[in-house]
Amino acid sequence: MNKRNITLGMAMGLSVVLAGCASTPQENAMVDEARASYAKIKDDPDVARSGDRQLRSARDELTRAESLLEEGEDTSRIEHAAYLSNRHAQIASEQAERARLQKQIDSAEERRRTLMLDKRSGEAARAQKEAEMLRKRMEELQAERTDRGMVLTLGDVLFDLNKADLKPSGEQTVGRLAEFMREYEDRRVRVEGYTDSTGAESYNQTLSERRAQSVSDALVSQGINRNRVETKGFGEQYPVTSNDTSTGRQQNRRVEIVISDKEGKIETR
Amino acid sequence: MKTHKSMLYTAGIAGLLLTLGGCASPGEPPDSELQSAESSLQQAVAADAREFEPVLLNNAQNKVADAKKLIEQEKYSQAERLLEQAAVDAQLASARSDTAKAKHAVEEINSNIESLRQQINPDQ
Repeated sequence: MNKRNITLGMAMGLSVVLAGCASTPQENAMVDEARASYAKIKDDPDVARSGDRQLRSARDELTRAESLLEEGEDTSRIEHAAYLSNRHAQIASEQAERARLQKQIDSAEERRRTLMLDKRSGEAARAQKEAEMLRKRMEELQAERTDRGMVLTLGDVLFDLNKADLKPSGEQTVGRLAEFMREYEDRRVRVEGYTDSTGAESYNQTLSERRAQSVSDALVSQGINRNRVETKGFGEQYPVTSNDTSTGRQQNRRVEIVISDKEGKIETR
Repeated sequence: MKTHKSMLYTAGIAGLLLTLGGCASPGEPPDSELQSAESSLQQAVAADAREFEPVLLNNAQNKVADAKKLIEQEKYSQAERLLEQAAVDAQLASARSDTAKAKHAVEEINSNIESLRQQINPDQ
């Protein structure tokens, strides 16, 4: 009697065990998925390099899922192991992808550095070429380097005696200057008129102003914006040589055109 | 009769214990799993998973929240599984966010290179 009841009780308990753990078919979709995920990455060298720890976890969980499946264990336990295995495989694969991208970043960074160097040396070469061009153009203008910058001197011969009108040869010189100013748009000029010491000072002052103005007008008529041209009459001031001889006086009668730097600044007397 | 009843009872308990032993590990709350899930979550947030993998991150966060409730109900083994899943979910969210950021970085540096190249050789 006793024994029978004990057996009955055990059987009840065991049936609960069986119901609780359930018998499972040997197939499980999640285990299949985990197997496929693992198979996809197990021979990937980038995974081996950068995701080895996760790869190992994926393999361990997969082994666990497979043996639980083999033993007919509870589906939720099997699928839990399969879930973990699958996730570890996904993480390993991301880590490998990340490492591949990092390689791309590193080599691109290297390329960028090389290009930056190329660019800088290219810019330097271009700047040098531009400076060379400018020097040549100034030379063509017969401008001279002075303390005030580049100065182009229009001699007395460009004007008739005591007249402010530019002679045709003077127009030509101004034409060259206008061409230069069209090419170098950030340059400005100041046109300065000077006379010799013959005659009344006030007359000379006015004459120097009118001559400067007439050069300025010629530039404007050739399409140079008026605000790029200043004029100033210095009259008898600043002779370049003595006024005692006629050659000296002729040299002192002149128009000087001071060319600005590339910021448009002009040194004043 | 009395002894028979108590014998039956004992055998039943034995069976139940077998059940518990077979399907679940009773006893300790999954403290270390909770800790590791939470630290994986923190790392995911730090890796900008909120921006790049919001759904996966939310799932992981929900699993941790559910696990905490299960722990209160002393359903430790169920809680442990949720926590283990939450941890790998969060780690995957981190890894994907890192990859996404690396992809952006590649694109950025490549367009940077392209514009540099154009500055050097505008005709090409």
